[in-house]
Amino acid sequence: MTSETTLTSDVQWINECYDLGEKHEHVSVYLIDAGGDYILIDSGSFHHRAAITRRLETATDGEGIDALVLSHSDYPHSANISSFKSQWDDVELIASSGAPSLQGLPEATKCDIGESMTICGRTFSFIDPPLADRSHTTWIYDHESAVLFTADGFGNHHSPSECGLLSTEFEGSIETEDIYTFHNETLVWLRYVDPDRLRAVLESMVAEYDPSYIAPIHGNPIAGEEIDTYLSRLIESAERITAEYDIGDLGTT
Amino acid sequence: MSRQIVPGIHWLQECATDLSHYMDDDDPPDWYEPGEEVHIPQSVYLIEDERSLLFDTFSPASTERVLDSIDDILDGGVLDYLVVSHPDVPHAGNTMAIMDEYPDVTLVAPAYGQAHELYHLETGTLVEEGDTIELGEYTVEFHEAPFLDSAIHLWMSEQTTETLFTVDWQGFPHLGSKCLHFVDEFDHELTREQLLQFHGRVMFWLQYVDAEKLNREIDFVIEKHDPEIVAPSHGNVIREGATEHLSMMKDVVRRIRTDGRIGTFG
Repeated sequence: MTSETTLTSDVQWINECYDLGEKHEHVSVYLIDAGGDYILIDSGSFHHRAAITRRLETATDGEGIDALVLSHSDYPHSANISSFKSQWDDVELIASSGAPSLQGLPEATKCDIGESMTICGRTFSFIDPPLADRSHTTWIYDHESAVLFTADGFGNHHSPSECGLLSTEFEGSIETEDIYTFHNETLVWLRYVDPDRLRAVLESMVAEYDPSYIAPIHGNPIAGEEIDTYLSRLIESAERITAEYDIGDLGTT
Repeated sequence: MSRQIVPGIHWLQECATDLSHYMDDDDPPDWYEPGEEVHIPQSVYLIEDERSLLFDTFSPASTERVLDSIDDILDGGVLDYLVVSHPDVPHAGNTMAIMDEYPDVTLVAPAYGQAHELYHLETGTLVEEGDTIELGEYTVEFHEAPFLDSAIHLWMSEQTTETLFTVDWQGFPHLGSKCLHFVDEFDHELTREQLLQFHGRVMFWLQYVDAEKLNREIDFVIEKHDPEIVAPSHGNVIREGATEHLSMMKDVVRRIRTDGRIGTFG
C-alpha cells in the first residue's frame, strides 16, 4: 500500500470530495489490507468512479479488491459496485439490507446488524447506527485495526484546503460549524432529536469499542484521542439543530 | 396489478415478504392469520388525466412490472411527469428505465437536500413546498417532508381528492391476502401494532427524538393537510378516518422513544 492517507498500518483513506461551493463534502471509501486480500468499505459515487478505480489499482498493486462491505445502498455509497465487480474477479459484496433485491443488490451476502462476521480472515462487527438516515445502514467496526467506519453520521463539511486532513491536522480539530452544517443538511430528523439521549448512546458506543479512529464516509477521519472533542461538538450541533427548528416551520426551511 | 383509488388515480403495489418472521412469536397480534405471509408493501401511484404523472418507481426487482403496468394503464399513451419522492433505491430504482421508455417525460425531484448530481437528479425539475402541477381534473402539490430518511425528499398531495402521499410515513405490514386492499376492506381495524412494526424497524431514529416535539409536528401536519385519503408508500391506502389514522402515530412514536428500535425487516 502506497501513497494514500494511512489511518493505521493496514487501513487507508481514499478521500474524494464533492464541491458544494464554499465548502466540500467527502464521499470517501476506505481500503483495508487483510494480509494479501483487500477489503473496501463502501464503493463511492459514480462521480468519482475513475479516480477511485485508479487509486485502488495503485494501492493494491493492480490486484484489486477481494471484498466490498457496504454501509448502505444510498447511491453515493453503492454506485460503483457493478463497475468494481466487472473490474476485478470474485469480489464478494457484503451488505446489511434485509431485502437485497429491493435495494438493487441481489448478489449480496447479508450481514446482520448487531452481529459479527469474518471477512477475508478479519472480524467485523456491524453496529446499529444512531446517526444515519436509511433503516438498513450499518456502522462497521474492524476489530483488528479498531477503526469504526461510519455513514452518514460523524461527518463534516470542510474547506477546499482541508480535503486530505486527519482531525489531528486541523488547528483545534474539526470545527463545530462544519459538523453542524453537515448534520443539519444530511440528517434532517435531528430537528426533533433529544440531544441527551443521543449523547448517551454515542458515549456508550465509543466506550464499548474505544476506536483508534472514527472513519466517516462524509468527513475527515477522527483520531481516537480527539473523539471526545468531536463528540462534544456534535452534541452541541444537535442541540443547535433542534433548537433552531420550531414546529410549523415546514415549508419555510 | 393495480387498482384505482378514485377514477384516474391508480395504485400499484410491490410487496416483499417479511423474512424476519416476527409473527412466529407465541403471542401474535390479533390481525394476523396463522399460515399467511406478512407483506411489507411499496406503492407507486399513477395519475391518468389530461396529462399523466407517476409518483415513484418501485425497486429494480420490478422493472418489467412497473413498465408493463404504466403501459397498460396509459394504454400505450405517454407519461408526462415522473416524480421521485426521494432517491432511495426502492422508490427511485427504475427512474432510468422509465426515462428510457418515455424519453420526453419530465423528471420532477425534490429541491431539498444537497448534491443532486450524485443521484442523477440535477437535470430534473426541482420542486419545493407549494409548487403545483396541473394535470387536468387533478392538481398535485408538493410539500417539504416532515418525517423522512434521505434529505432529498418530498411529500405530495392531490388537491381535488384531498389525498396526502406520505411516502415513508404511515407504513404498516399487511397479510399476503390483502395486497391492494383499502384499509376499510381489512377484516380488522388498522392497529397501532402494525404501525409500530413498520416504524419501529424502519424509522429507527424515532428512538432518539423528543417525542412530544415530534407529536406536535404530527398535529401540525394533520391541521395543515386535513386529508380525506392517505396514500403511503409502505402501507395500504386509507380512505376512511384519514386524520384519525395519522393521529395514531403519536402513540407509536412514544412507544419507540420509550422501548427503542424493535428490529429490522428480514
